[in-house]
Amino acid sequence: MRRFSAIVIAVLAFGALSGVAAYQKMRPQAASAGGDHWQEVAWPYPRDGWPAGRAFRCDDCGNDIELYVRPKIGFCNCDTGVADDDEVDRVADLDLISERYAPLAPGKVIRVADMSGRSRAYDLDMAGGVRHRAVGIAVSHRCDVLVAVVQGRARTDELQHAALQFLQTGEMKHWMMAALGGG
Amino acid sequence: MPRVAVALCFAVSFLIYFLDVAGVAAAQQQVIGAPPEASNMRLVGYNDLQARSAYQPTIHHQGDRWIAYIGHHGGTDAVPDPVNPMTGKAEPNGTSIVDVTDPAHPKYLHHIPGQEGKYESGGAQMVRVCDGKTLPKGDPNAVYMLRAVGSEGHEIWNVADPANPVLVTHIGEGLKDTHKNWWECDTGIAYLVSGAPGWRVRRMTQVYDLSDPAHPAKIRDFGLVGQEPGSTGPVPTELHGPISTGPQGNRVYFGYGTDKGGIMQIVDRDKLLHGPKEPTPENLRYPEISRLTMSAFNGAHTTFPMPGLPIGEFAHDKDGQRRDVVMIVDEAIQNECGEPRQMVWFADVTTETRPMMISSYTVREASGNFCERGGRFGSHSSNESMAPVYYRKLAFIAFFNAGVRALDIRDPYHPREIGYFIPSITPATDKRCVTVEGGERCKVAIQTNNVETDDRGYIYAVDRANTGLHILELTGEARAIAGLP
Repeated sequence: MRRFSAIVIAVLAFGALSGVAAYQKMRPQAASAGGDHWQEVAWPYPRDGWPAGRAFRCDDCGNDIELYVRPKIGFCNCDTGVADDDEVDRVADLDLISERYAPLAPGKVIRVADMSGRSRAYDLDMAGGVRHRAVGIAVSHRCDVLVAVVQGRARTDELQHAALQFLQTGEMKHWMMAALGGG
Repeated sequence: MPRVAVALCFAVSFLIYFLDVAGVAAAQQQVIGAPPEASNMRLVGYNDLQARSAYQPTIHHQGDRWIAYIGHHGGTDAVPDPVNPMTGKAEPNGTSIVDVTDPAHPKYLHHIPGQEGKYESGGAQMVRVCDGKTLPKGDPNAVYMLRAVGSEGHEIWNVADPANPVLVTHIGEGLKDTHKNWWECDTGIAYLVSGAPGWRVRRMTQVYDLSDPAHPAKIRDFGLVGQEPGSTGPVPTELHGPISTGPQGNRVYFGYGTDKGGIMQIVDRDKLLHGPKEPTPENLRYPEISRLTMSAFNGAHTTFPMPGLPIGEFAHDKDGQRRDVVMIVDEAIQNECGEPRQMVWFADVTTETRPMMISSYTVREASGNFCERGGRFGSHSSNESMAPVYYRKLAFIAFFNAGVRALDIRDPYHPREIGYFIPSITPATDKRCVTVEGGERCKVAIQTNNVETDDRGYIYAVDRANTGLHILELTGEARAIAGLP
């Protein structure tokens, strides 16, 4: 009987360890995520209506740049997608960074990971009177939207270039499509 | 020996876990031919509504007849424009008109086509009806139906002869969207949910004087500060719909949001109608009395006011025996529980500047394994009739795959479910799909979308998944609470 109980406990322990290992493998990578200079950091914002996304910092992009990206499932107009700049204003998570932001110019049509949408540059009024620039990105897939916002002290064209280059890496494209339901 | 017990305990837990993961737990998925599930509610009559996805039903007593006007979403991928058997033509979903004078034998009278487009992008989803003799400047022989026709705007039809409706007028050009309007029949003031050009949201309020439906007169645009043209920064959650208590109550309760970031805004109606109208931040704030900001997890689809509700529990209190209560209903959006639970909330707004949530209600998921049945599970809307038969006593909630739920709300601090009806599915019931590992997995389940009541006490439930109209009545304890014979 003692041998039987030892076997049962060993099997259970092995199963539990396997489960933990599998869970760790499923989690987003905590460090580098495909880009040479981007490091994943903890999602810095409190819980809101959408689950937390992924946050990255690029220390070697000329200026310190941060990028926040997450899916919003069931948010987008299924037929028209991200149709106008108002949609980018609404969805692109700029309000996480600052309550005071203003667009710098009309947005542009973009494609990210085979999804189309729009990007738009903003001026952010940060705490302490510091001003940052940001680019909001929103692309749609069926009835869902993938949003990203990149912010820092660089020019907006530099911010957008750095963000799009990173989002187009294979690892990020794979993660984004999986986060939007894989299809 | 204790080690053996611990090991066995672990083993049993492990087995239960794996059985659960494998989905062995019983799922009560609906099948065609199975009877409806019911408690204290009974099916009286049924109409298939030409297998069109249904949204808002409004039941109107005109002459000696009772007519149901039912708004529809757009068609489906499989059937974008269902055939109207009365005309033999494929018609984009619009408005169904059904004679429900004999609720056991509802008679389909007419279908008015709506906007081309599928699902939420088409149809004519919302309907309100006023008698011409009640409207201050209406044709006394007319019955007017106001409907929202997607981005095409709003229309008013004369449905005095409900089998032969006649278009009276069209309101709105270049709108981004339209939705759940409110129309005061005794004044003609209408709160039209529109997406006016320049506003930063698809849905805000356009206040109109429709006292003479043939000659609509715009009063103003209204919304939350940050939604107006030219504003910057965060855009507040868009409007879903308002409900007014008219000049007597002098309040309009606006519900913003569906399944996220809900806001219930309490507005002084007189200030809204007669205050400064230019949509500046100051002017938009002027009529607001207060707002109740909800959790980011829940929206405010329906804000149903019940002023002066006597609370039995407080009967012997020296103050506060009556309370002004607003029932707030969220809308579930995601299939198969893919979001936080959307449910029903009760807010005490007696001290208007400090509204407070006092209770909530949801169907117990485990009572029907609703997360596994398919489609949406969660609340969507309540009845909006204020007829005495149910007002302040019972409320009916459309709960998607959990059907219609009847609540005893006489004590809104402790709402209690006292009945339910989950209609059977039919071959017309459309599937609902979720994405699993890159592929679609679909299930078929009832999707009770909206519910309304008439002055006689009949309950009308309509289905978003094309199943049709179910006319119900209460039985047992629920019927006794309503005081019905």
